[in-house]
Amino acid sequence: MARETMNEEPRHLRRLFAVWFVSWIIGDVLYWLLLGPHMAPGDMTKSAHWNQFDLNVLFMLCIPVLFGVWIYFAYATFMWNAKRKSCPEPVGGPAAETNSRAQWSWIWITSVTVVLLAVYGTVALVGDNGSGGGEGPSPVWNPPGTVKANTAALAGKATWQPNSDQVLVVQVIGQQWKFTYRYPAFGGFETSQLILPNDTAIVFDVTSLDVIHSFWAYQLSVKADANPGYNNVAYADTEHTGPFQVHCGELCGIWHGSMFNSGSVVSQTDFMTWAKKTEAQTAANTANLPPMAWTYTPDANGASGGLYPDGTVTPYSPSETYGAKQPAS
Amino acid sequence: MSGENEMTTASSQPNFPGGTPEEREFEMTTDSSQTSFPRGTPEEREFEFRAHVGAMWSGSRLFIAMYTFLLASVCFAYFYLRSSNNAQLWRPHNVTAPLYYGWAIYILLLFTALMALFGQTRFRKGSVNDWQIAGWAGVLSGLVALFLQIFEFTKVPFNPGSSAYASIFIGFACINCLTIFAGTYWLETTLARSLRIRKELGGTNPELSTAFTARSLRANVSAMTYFWGYIALSSTLFLWMFYRF
Amino acid sequence: MSISTEQPNEVVRRSAAPPPKRRAISWTQRPGWMSQHLGTALVGAALGYWLGHWFGNYISSDYSYVANSGQNSIADTLALVMGVVGWLAGIGVLNYPLAKIAGREGKELEDVKDWTRYVRLSSDHKVVGLQYVVSVLLFFFTAGLLAMAIRTELLSPTFHMFSADTYIKIVSEHGTMMMMMASSIVVGPLGNYLVPLMIGSRRMAFPRIEAFSFWLFTAGYLVIFSALPYGGFPTGWTGYAPLANQAGPGMVSYLFGFAIIGVAMAAAGFNIAITIVNYRAPGMTWSRVPAFVWGILATAGLMTLATPSLFVAGLFGILDHTVLTTFYVAEHGGSSYLWENLFWFFGHPEVYIMALPGFGIVAELLPVFARKPLFAFKVVVAGELGVAVLSFFVWQHHIFQSGIDPSMRPLYMLTTELISIPTGFIFLVGMGTLYKAKIRFTVPMLFCFAFFFNFLIGGVSGVFQSDVPVNVTVHGGFFVLSHFHYTILGGLVFAFFGGLYYWLPLMTGLEINKKLSLIQFWTMFVFFNLTFFPMLIIGLLGQPRRVFTYARALTGLNDFASVSAFCLGASFLLFAWTLAYSLVINPKKSPLNPWDSLGLEWQTAQPVPVHNFERIPVIMTDPYHYSEEGAPKLADFGGGSSARESSVPPTDNETVLR
Repeated sequence: MARETMNEEPRHLRRLFAVWFVSWIIGDVLYWLLLGPHMAPGDMTKSAHWNQFDLNVLFMLCIPVLFGVWIYFAYATFMWNAKRKSCPEPVGGPAAETNSRAQWSWIWITSVTVVLLAVYGTVALVGDNGSGGGEGPSPVWNPPGTVKANTAALAGKATWQPNSDQVLVVQVIGQQWKFTYRYPAFGGFETSQLILPNDTAIVFDVTSLDVIHSFWAYQLSVKADANPGYNNVAYADTEHTGPFQVHCGELCGIWHGSMFNSGSVVSQTDFMTWAKKTEAQTAANTANLPPMAWTYTPDANGASGGLYPDGTVTPYSPSETYGAKQPAS
Repeated sequence: MSGENEMTTASSQPNFPGGTPEEREFEMTTDSSQTSFPRGTPEEREFEFRAHVGAMWSGSRLFIAMYTFLLASVCFAYFYLRSSNNAQLWRPHNVTAPLYYGWAIYILLLFTALMALFGQTRFRKGSVNDWQIAGWAGVLSGLVALFLQIFEFTKVPFNPGSSAYASIFIGFACINCLTIFAGTYWLETTLARSLRIRKELGGTNPELSTAFTARSLRANVSAMTYFWGYIALSSTLFLWMFYRF
Repeated sequence: MSISTEQPNEVVRRSAAPPPKRRAISWTQRPGWMSQHLGTALVGAALGYWLGHWFGNYISSDYSYVANSGQNSIADTLALVMGVVGWLAGIGVLNYPLAKIAGREGKELEDVKDWTRYVRLSSDHKVVGLQYVVSVLLFFFTAGLLAMAIRTELLSPTFHMFSADTYIKIVSEHGTMMMMMASSIVVGPLGNYLVPLMIGSRRMAFPRIEAFSFWLFTAGYLVIFSALPYGGFPTGWTGYAPLANQAGPGMVSYLFGFAIIGVAMAAAGFNIAITIVNYRAPGMTWSRVPAFVWGILATAGLMTLATPSLFVAGLFGILDHTVLTTFYVAEHGGSSYLWENLFWFFGHPEVYIMALPGFGIVAELLPVFARKPLFAFKVVVAGELGVAVLSFFVWQHHIFQSGIDPSMRPLYMLTTELISIPTGFIFLVGMGTLYKAKIRFTVPMLFCFAFFFNFLIGGVSGVFQSDVPVNVTVHGGFFVLSHFHYTILGGLVFAFFGGLYYWLPLMTGLEINKKLSLIQFWTMFVFFNLTFFPMLIIGLLGQPRRVFTYARALTGLNDFASVSAFCLGASFLLFAWTLAYSLVINPKKSPLNPWDSLGLEWQTAQPVPVHNFERIPVIMTDPYHYSEEGAPKLADFGGGSSARESSVPPTDNETVLR
């Protein structure tokens, strides 16, 4: 009896380990070969490429975890099933209540895995200058030249030339229920088309005119919430040409579902052509737009963004808002 | 745990012509027409009663913890909006809520807390009447504070939406009404209970006896005083935040 | 050591004293319809609603912003507030607080013996538990119908069943109702019913607070339901400002409804936590407290401490709507991020309020059906407490891309990754308990296995989201949606169903039909996975949440999910039928302790008598000594009798054993 028990115990765990080990190796290899290259969000930008890689790393880590638990439970269902005639009687008592080695191994392995994941995620985030996520008005991790370009854009001095390694600043304005885009390097024209040059570092300055939206350019792997009165900066570095989709990623009211548009990344010369053409076509309209500013929502001091450029501060008159009786109509 | 908040009665076993408070309480609460349980053996009754007293102790501390999270949320809103200063509208022209009202409410609340504390100390020593007087003075001042806090809404020199400070102040004042009401209610109900125990159990100072209801009252008073101390502390913080001039 | 089993001593009475009178029963608690019950609650609610509405119009109808817009948020708010006050007054919740002003201890809540006790205020925690069962299932089915409407709309990206504003109203209502219901789905029914039984107590610490929490919970359901006739609200269950500021009167229903559900949760958690700390039977040290009770304790801690933040957020939102403060309007000094932070500071502990009870149920059921002790009990407790504490430190992972301080993101990524360590402990415990066990695959056990399967996918997908770079791809889309349905529906609700199937024989004395419940389990499990697994893929392919249209290429996947969802809905209908059939149409008496459990709650009569235990038991060990030779007895039930001897089935609810 004792020998049977001694022989039984290693058999279970060894079997489980063997099956598990083989299965996750196969699973990971299959994943890497078949699914990995096609994983979201593609590789249109540098962030997209590294975010895809990050997703692949996580999937390949989670496959062993999933398989481990599934195999164990399947094994238990088969081997330790009361309906199975040869299932031995369980043994209770202190030996069944705790097992220091199993407990500490589990705690150590999960802790180390999780901390390593956090470290990896941080490295990926910092190394990729925010990974395409919105970093607020004062981003901490900036690709070279972007801060300067952004400052220049605000001062009306933005420029962009093809083949010059310059940063392109694009302002994204969300409103209920569409996105529009302003290009400060081309006179600040506003368009609902998002065309971007290839092999270029892009700065997106995202804001909103009314409620919270979210600028989610899926293939560019950019997601930045658009808040009224705030500027949210996100970066992208285009690497391939092609079309991409922009969706609103934050519920913004009734037509949130239809708040989307397409865009494309084109070659630098094509982009230049388009930008110049659009600048010329919209010149009359652009003259009526407010000067470039990071936010456009009016507030009690007038409107930020210099909508009232004469510098006077509108005194806030709350009695206009409530308290006053309605005039006779 | 039950020892420290049950104010033990030192030497007060005065005269009880109608039966001791414990006996009268037992009469009032036992109904042998029901099935064999209703309260179990005397040891079980004592056990469950100690659990009850412990529940008052832990309950009042947990309540204070919950209230802390509530007030901390208000503090968070205050400091967050202050640091954001969106549209330069945190506190234009250093606008402040009416100082007289703020200070008056604060002093009244401090007074109530002191009355509760003083009263409880006297109660412990056996002077129940001192506790009654201090307590009712505290209730009065609490009610005046509540009235002033509500009336202050009509006296603020700003509209609620004119600045972030104005908005937070209105929010804080609403919660302060709730706090003052809760504290004053708690104080009043312990005082009223004490008076009614005299009626129910008879004799001299039955609140000091070992009847369950008397012990429960004493635990309740202790818990309530703790909460009033907490109100005094948190009011000091809010005074500094909102009325700092 | 045991509590004395002597009969109570006769108290020496004065010779002229009259015999003890029956306790005075207040007219409000008398049997019959001339008293306080659900009917008077409804009347009170209607009266309060009308009064509040009238008063609100009286004071504010000439404010310019009210007159201009044709909407009076002040009247709407006051109507709802007074409606809830009227509801509570009608059911009798206010009687005791008012009596206390006069110093009275308040009349005892008379325990009415017939079915009407379930529509009244009751101090019996078992009645409150069963009331919660009905209420929670009602919430669930209502919100579930709304889910069916959502999946119908999503059958086609171009053909629309509903107009855009109706659709967003449905989405918001579904999410909010489900979240409100799920936050109390286990603590309310099972926590209230079982905790005193499991700790060997005859009662709860604060029965009136417990009853109050139930009736406020149902009031909250009615308030959130009232959003529909008010025109709904467009923000989803997350209520983001300033869209919330823009919204119409239905928004007030959301804000106020959520605020009072928060108070109900705080009250329920408060009562249960204090009960567990103070009312444990003698001998029940913390290491002998059952795992389920530990789970409820951790959950109750979260319920009490997290909901105040929600209350403040809701209060500020209501102030914004009624008196035009600007808490959430950046252009006037407020901040949209203020709502986000206040809400999610509550919101993250809220979702652990929904995960922890599931862990507790599973940890409780596994040993019974594996016939082995619970493995690593200390790890279970550490996991539950660890999750509870850490849940306060992770909330900004909901708003990674929103423009928060970017240097905070690695910190919250770390804390969120760390919280997956204690969350994973339940898997260690499950696997350890099953090791060399002898598993009986009853329906409750099947639900436990399903919990492990579903929560694994849910938990792992959560780890994906906590990684900020991956979050850029998955936030705000169907991947997140699938994640939380896997954890909440797949984890919590499956565990709840397992717990119901397991404990209903105790609570009702009736057995649940085996065949029906088996079919119900398999349909629910299969169709749940068929509904939500494709959504992980849909999310990775870029479909946002809360939309009524999507890329044409995703039609196939959406249709697959929708059809599976309809089948899942059918399985829930089957659940309702299973309960109706087993409890009402063809009730069969359940044998005593049908699962052969060592749990303390099973060692008393079935259904449980009013006072739970004839004598307060003296606990001698934990309830997990399965398959152990010479295992110590669980408890001394008084009078030297063993547990089983005294468990004679009563003929009716009130028969006491000896």
